[in-house]
Amino acid sequence: MTVMQSFRMALKSISAKKMRSFLTMLGIIIGVASVVILVSVIQAQNKKSLEYLESQGTNKLTVSAYRWTGGDISRDLYDYCLGLSDLVVGVTPEVHLYNDGLSVKYGTHTVSATAEDWRKSGQFILGSDQYGLCNNYKLSAGRDLTRMDIDNYQNVCVLGGGVAETLFNLVNPVGKSVTILGTPYTVVGVYQKKNVDNWPELDNLILLPYSLNRTLGNNQTISEYSVKAVSASAADVAAIRIQGYLSALIPESSGYSHVQNNNQSMDSMDEMLMAQSLVLGGIAGISLLVGGIGIMNIMLVTVTERTREIGIRKAIGASRRSIILQFLIEASVICAIGGIIGILLGFLGTLIAAKLLLKMLFLPGEGITIGAFAFSVVLGIIFGLYPAIKASGLQPVEALRAE
Amino acid sequence: MLIELKDIYKIYREGEESEVRALDGVSLTIDRGEFVAIVGASGSGKSTLMNVLGCLDIPTYGEYRLDGAEITTRTDAQLAQIRNRQIGFIFQGYNLIPELTALENVALPLAYQGMHMQQRNETAMEALEKVGMALRAQSHPSELSGGQQQRIAIARAIAAHPSMIMADEPTGALDSKTGKQVLEMLQQLYREGTTVILITHDLSIAATVPRVIRISDGKILSDEMQEVDWL
Repeated sequence: MTVMQSFRMALKSISAKKMRSFLTMLGIIIGVASVVILVSVIQAQNKKSLEYLESQGTNKLTVSAYRWTGGDISRDLYDYCLGLSDLVVGVTPEVHLYNDGLSVKYGTHTVSATAEDWRKSGQFILGSDQYGLCNNYKLSAGRDLTRMDIDNYQNVCVLGGGVAETLFNLVNPVGKSVTILGTPYTVVGVYQKKNVDNWPELDNLILLPYSLNRTLGNNQTISEYSVKAVSASAADVAAIRIQGYLSALIPESSGYSHVQNNNQSMDSMDEMLMAQSLVLGGIAGISLLVGGIGIMNIMLVTVTERTREIGIRKAIGASRRSIILQFLIEASVICAIGGIIGILLGFLGTLIAAKLLLKMLFLPGEGITIGAFAFSVVLGIIFGLYPAIKASGLQPVEALRAE
Repeated sequence: MLIELKDIYKIYREGEESEVRALDGVSLTIDRGEFVAIVGASGSGKSTLMNVLGCLDIPTYGEYRLDGAEITTRTDAQLAQIRNRQIGFIFQGYNLIPELTALENVALPLAYQGMHMQQRNETAMEALEKVGMALRAQSHPSELSGGQQQRIAIARAIAAHPSMIMADEPTGALDSKTGKQVLEMLQQLYREGTTVILITHDLSIAATVPRVIRISDGKILSDEMQEVDWL
């Protein structure tokens, strides 16, 4: 009896009892689908985060610093970083404004901070003249903010490529006046689009001088900053220097300061991906295991039901090996079919979950797909083994006597 | 000499009070090309004898030579191969596999020989033609009458051209007319030179077989040749 024949025979037995086979597969289907979905969603989440970090460029430090009393340290940090010019390219506050009704208007076109379509919502950010430098934006027209704009509280802004297209279409925005919260602002520059797939909002930037915090930000304290270093090693040195400077500037009793190196964030992101995948994949794997036990259970019932058939086969010359092969193949075919259905469901589930949770288009990678399929087949072999051996050990005389 | 049994014992629960001697010192020889009926009441040991002769069961004591080779020392796998190539079984309950078509049932012993699909199907088809069931090759057992199922079973038994056919009450589940047809088929096989061993409790059937071995309480009572009308 060749493997091919055993395979055909297995398909025959499975299709002879469709409902039972399907119920048996259900455990495997659910197990495989949940492994695929969980692992894929984690991978999607990490892909999205990495894309963001990469779009910001490497060698970036994220600085958090504030005084309990609310005294602004922006100017102090700005001046300190100027002194680190051999290490640091630029420094900027990063304040995202989420005020109700915040929007920018030009003629009949509006970009709102809270647009219904998240892809169209504007990102209102207070920053310095070095914001573009720190966040990897390049000018396509006009100029960046200047120190003068900040010091003189100028009502000017720089637009991201996406916002510029929405508001002005083909018109050159530079020099035009837009309206934000009823006040006119002059557009002084436009950034090139970054076109990061899952982060369209990066191109919907409306950058304003951080000194406008007084009016636009309700005078809230600025506490988040980005610092861009010239190289990876410079980033490491700058992180230590800036942390030292801030610790001296803001004693622990009067406030808080922390410097985070984004290069390290990217590295630890990979480790986190691995750890999360293992933990959640493992939990989902347990449901696969339960499915496997279901297979063993039903295969044992099948062996009992088919005792007579096994007796006939042995009487006409089936060896133990052929009988083991027959039941092993049957168990693995059930698992393989369940695995394929589970993977299809997993693709569907991942598509939906990534769309709803992460607002991105993401499909499971080939690693997890092949892995989940292979695991389910191996599961079939492992849990089919005991029933198969039990079947092969039946004595033909006794098996033939069974009704 | 095809079959040579020497002092065969089959003892269950040996040494205990409830010891049962299903075969109690049976010796007999059967030549190639003989037609033998083994006759006995139920519980006489005739089924055990058939199981031993058919290599389905190993005797507790004694020697069994089939075609000159000792059987009692063989491994499971070797016994499976002997059943596969040298013995064709016909059972009272037909024992066809319900999920398989007639053709697939007949081809099954050939599949266990490792024969390739095309050759297997051709050989199985020849056997079906021989029992007059070629037209029902694609039917499943449940679509066939008892007589037809038994003819499929006979085709399965002869498909591999074994040197002996073991028929265990082959007419037991059939009406007298189809039973007669099945017997005629066994007679035909005998005429063609196959060794046929028929196990039955029915004396009228035994009356049609040239050699009759009577068995009772695990022992051979008589072993006689007789004239039959169809020869």
